[in-house]
Amino acid sequence: MADIRERLMDCFAAVFPDCSKEDIPKVDHYNLARWDSVASVTLFATIEEEFGLELDLEDLPGLVSFEKILAYLSTKVAA
Amino acid sequence: MKLIEALRIIGEKQNPELPTLRVRVVCGFTPMHFQTFLQAHLRRSRPDHRVEITSGIYGDIWGTIGKLNEEDTDIAVVILEWSDLDARLGLRGLGSWSPTALPGILKNVQLRASELRASIGRIANSVPVAVCFPTLPLPPFSFVPGWQGSSLSLEIRATMASMGLDVSRIRNVKVLDTQRLDMLSPLAERFDPKTEVFSGFPYEVAHASILAELLTRLTALPTPKKGLITDLDDTLWSGILGEVGLHGVNWDLEHNSHMHGAYQRLLHAFSESGILIGVASKNDPEFVTQALLRDDLILPGRSLFPVEASWGPKSEAVERILRAWNISADDVVFVDDSPMELAEVQARHAGIETKLFPKNDYQALNELLYSLRDLFGKSSISEEDSLRRDSIRRAHEGTPQSSGKSLEVFLEQAEAEFSFDFSKYPVDDRAVELINKTNQFNLNGRRISEAGWQNFLKQQDTFLLVTTYRDKYGPLGKISVIAGRERGKTIVIENWVMSCRAFSRRIEHRSIEELVRRFGADEVTLDFEATPKNGPLREFLADLLDSPPSSTCTVSRNRINEFLSNCLPKVTEVAHG
Repeated sequence: MADIRERLMDCFAAVFPDCSKEDIPKVDHYNLARWDSVASVTLFATIEEEFGLELDLEDLPGLVSFEKILAYLSTKVAA
Repeated sequence: MKLIEALRIIGEKQNPELPTLRVRVVCGFTPMHFQTFLQAHLRRSRPDHRVEITSGIYGDIWGTIGKLNEEDTDIAVVILEWSDLDARLGLRGLGSWSPTALPGILKNVQLRASELRASIGRIANSVPVAVCFPTLPLPPFSFVPGWQGSSLSLEIRATMASMGLDVSRIRNVKVLDTQRLDMLSPLAERFDPKTEVFSGFPYEVAHASILAELLTRLTALPTPKKGLITDLDDTLWSGILGEVGLHGVNWDLEHNSHMHGAYQRLLHAFSESGILIGVASKNDPEFVTQALLRDDLILPGRSLFPVEASWGPKSEAVERILRAWNISADDVVFVDDSPMELAEVQARHAGIETKLFPKNDYQALNELLYSLRDLFGKSSISEEDSLRRDSIRRAHEGTPQSSGKSLEVFLEQAEAEFSFDFSKYPVDDRAVELINKTNQFNLNGRRISEAGWQNFLKQQDTFLLVTTYRDKYGPLGKISVIAGRERGKTIVIENWVMSCRAFSRRIEHRSIEELVRRFGADEVTLDFEATPKNGPLREFLADLLDSPPSSTCTVSRNRINEFLSNCLPKVTEVAHG
């Protein structure tokens, strides 16, 4: 879980370079103005590449915050 | 490159004072990850620029091309996909694939190709263009099974191939080689239907990365290497000359040594293209001289200069070859079958690129041929390229040192002929090539982009002087360029470069003399800047100024005349422009 968290932090840091390490766990689609539709596509592609998986299209609408994506990945990625 | 790496690179802060490289991506899709990769690769290959990339609106490649202009673009990158030629050739467009509709698709493709050819030609008048033709598989629009080539799909591909050929002939246009893309990015792994449908981005991430990397190389071709130093035994030929004798070494099918012949063929092509080929071999020099006279060599012995055969360290042989060529190790590749020899040379010449000749590994040998071609590849071969090898050999034989004469006596007897050309048009690619690849005699080391050069030439107050030289030892071609501005009675020199082959001919003296005479200038200001490599230029300026040069130094006509009167022999001049 700690490893998944770190790797997800790296993905967020790459897509949102202005976000500090402390802020990343708190970000969501609503409180981060830069998290628009283009950023979503980039973030999901980065996560897919980093974790070697394909995100289900029907799951994407729910993946709107760092914590929700972390919880989702925890069920998909073998620890 | 992975997407996360690309994002990290473009997330790095850039110095706001760097000049901006403005790149316009022209495509019909949303460039998304492709743009991210392109930005990252351009940043890596152009660390001296801030990279700004803009693109057009989804689905409007024609509008994006129409609006493109030189005022806000330094480089245009055009990426075509099938749907740009007819929306029915994309997954998003749901236009009919009925057999009766198919001729209309072909007609549309042909019409669009013709329009695009004209548009690219227009853009290339002012901006360098890198073009990539469709990279994705055609959709299953035709009624034939996928393993059978339909006349329709073959005709569509032929239209693209013909258009590619046409635009590749336009000055300022470079076309991406689809074969290289095919080797790096398997066709079946390029298209991402999910992101195409939901985001309008048709590429798998890996394909976007490879495409961006290749297009980056196309927009800024790496400076080609100038010389290759090769080992002989078990490299240029199979066998150890000292053991098997003059007729025992071989490079043919009969002796299972064919790949040595393939290597020789490539080196022969290099040599004929103006690339310098030298030899560093641990061998008896007399044996080597005899072996290189064999008339069945595919790379004739006369193509090799210098040939350094001795029992000393190869790094010393390389040192002597670099001195004879008068180029730096950075411009050279060393090929040997011994990892130990490669390491010994590399340790002494840090900048040299070394390549192992993998004598029994056919796959690796084939890859070596591609890799060498990439290192030495250039867009075109100039007249100067064909003169280079012979002029260096002649220069080595016909120098004051080799003739035992003083420089003055040597030059007086050289029967030198200068040609001074002040024409700015038609644009001479050799001038910008010299500015961008000369290091040693270079006023400030500044490079110039194609667009920047065109813009410079357009300005009323600018001038260009290209000097061509020949003497009784043969022609050197166009070997010096001075570019700058006329400001009343002052000439401001912004670029001054001279090929290292032209050293010790007083060509720099003649060029500045001609410049002052042409413009009747009272003084010349030189936009000088010391670089790690421009020592020869610095020494010349110190003599001219009679003191070490500072940045932006000025010298009067009187001082120039005084300086020149002490060192110029009689010559024949031819003026142009």
